[in-house]
Amino acid sequence: MSQTMDQRPFSPEDMSRRRKRSIALALVLAGLVVLFFVTTIVRLGGEVALRNF
Amino acid sequence: MSDIHADISDKSEAALGGQGTVRDYWTLLKPRVMSLVIFTALAGLVAAPGVIHPWLAAVALLAIAVGAGASGALNMWYDADIDALMARTANRPVPRGAILPGEALGFGMALAVGSVLVLGLLVNIVAAALLAFTIFFYAVIYTMWLKRSTPQNIVIGGAAGAFPPMIGWAAATGSVSLASIALFLIIFMWTPPHFWALALFREGDYARAGVPMMPNVAGARETRKQILLYSLILVPITFLPSLLGTTGMLYTVVTAGLGVAFIWHAVDVYRITEGDAARRACRRLFGFSILYLFALFALIIAERILGLAPFAPVFG
Repeated sequence: MSQTMDQRPFSPEDMSRRRKRSIALALVLAGLVVLFFVTTIVRLGGEVALRNF
Repeated sequence: MSDIHADISDKSEAALGGQGTVRDYWTLLKPRVMSLVIFTALAGLVAAPGVIHPWLAAVALLAIAVGAGASGALNMWYDADIDALMARTANRPVPRGAILPGEALGFGMALAVGSVLVLGLLVNIVAAALLAFTIFFYAVIYTMWLKRSTPQNIVIGGAAGAFPPMIGWAAATGSVSLASIALFLIIFMWTPPHFWALALFREGDYARAGVPMMPNVAGARETRKQILLYSLILVPITFLPSLLGTTGMLYTVVTAGLGVAFIWHAVDVYRITEGDAARRACRRLFGFSILYLFALFALIIAERILGLAPFAPVFG
C-alpha cells in the first residue's frame, strides 16, 4: 500500500478536490450543530426554565 | 458482482480513491429523484391532520431527502456494473471511476444511518422506522434482488418510491392511517405505467445490461396491455384521498380531468404499436405521467395552503 502511495503522489488537482470535500464536510457538520441546537430549543419550548426540580 | 466492481476499481485512474469531487458525491444522491421525494413527502406532511412545528417539518423533510439520497448512493454502488452498460447511466461517478465502489457504499451507509437517527431522535420513531424500511426496501429488496431477477421489479420495487408521503404523514401525526396508505397507493400504481413507458423506448439499454424489464421479457405487446391495465386501476385510486376526506373539490375535479388524459395516453400506447408513432406515444405517456403525479401532489399542497382542504392547518 505504502509503495503504491509513493508511486502516485497527490497532484495539485487531487489536493484541490480534497480541500473542497473537506470544506463541504465542515459545512455539513456545522449545519448539523445548528440543526440539533435549534431543534432542541424548539422541542423543549419556552417553558423549560419554569419546570420544578 | 464483486468481480465487476473489482474490475471497475482496477480500470479506474482513481485506484487509490479520494478522487471524487463534491459534485460527484452530490450526483450519487440522485438529486432529481430526491426532489420528487421531498415534494411527495411534503404533500403527505401537509395533508396529514396532525400539527407539527414548521422547523420540525423542515427537519423531517431534510432527513427524508438524505435517506432517499442514501438509497441512491447504495443503488449506484451495487448497480455500477450494469450502469456501465447503459447509455443513460454510464457516466455516473462509480462506473466512470471518479468514486470507488467502497467509497459509494460507505457514503450511502453513513447517510442512511444518519438520516434515520436524525428523524427518530428529532421528529418521531414511526417516521424513522418507515424511512429505515424504505431505504432497506430500495437498496436490498429492489436493487439487489428484484431488479435483476424479475420483470415485476418495477411493480414491487415501486413501493420504495411510494413511501415518502407516508413518511411525511407519519412525521406530522406519529402514525400510519388509511389516508396515508391511499397516497402510497397512488405512487405505487403510477410507477409501472411510468417506467414501462420509459422501458419501451429504452428497451435496447435494459436488454444490453441484462435487466429483465417487462418489454424485453414479456414483449412490447404484453407491456402495452399491462400499462393500460395499471392505468385503469390507477385513476380510480387517485380519488381515494377525496373519499377519505383528505382532499377537497378542487383536487377531485382536476384529478378527474387528468385521469381521463392519463388513460387517453395509455390507450394510445396500447393502440399504436409500430414505428416512430409508437415511440412518440410512449414518450408522451412517460412525459405526461411525470406531470400527472406532480400535479396530483401539487393539488394536495395547494388545497391546504388555500384552505380548501377538509382538515385544519398542519403547522402550529
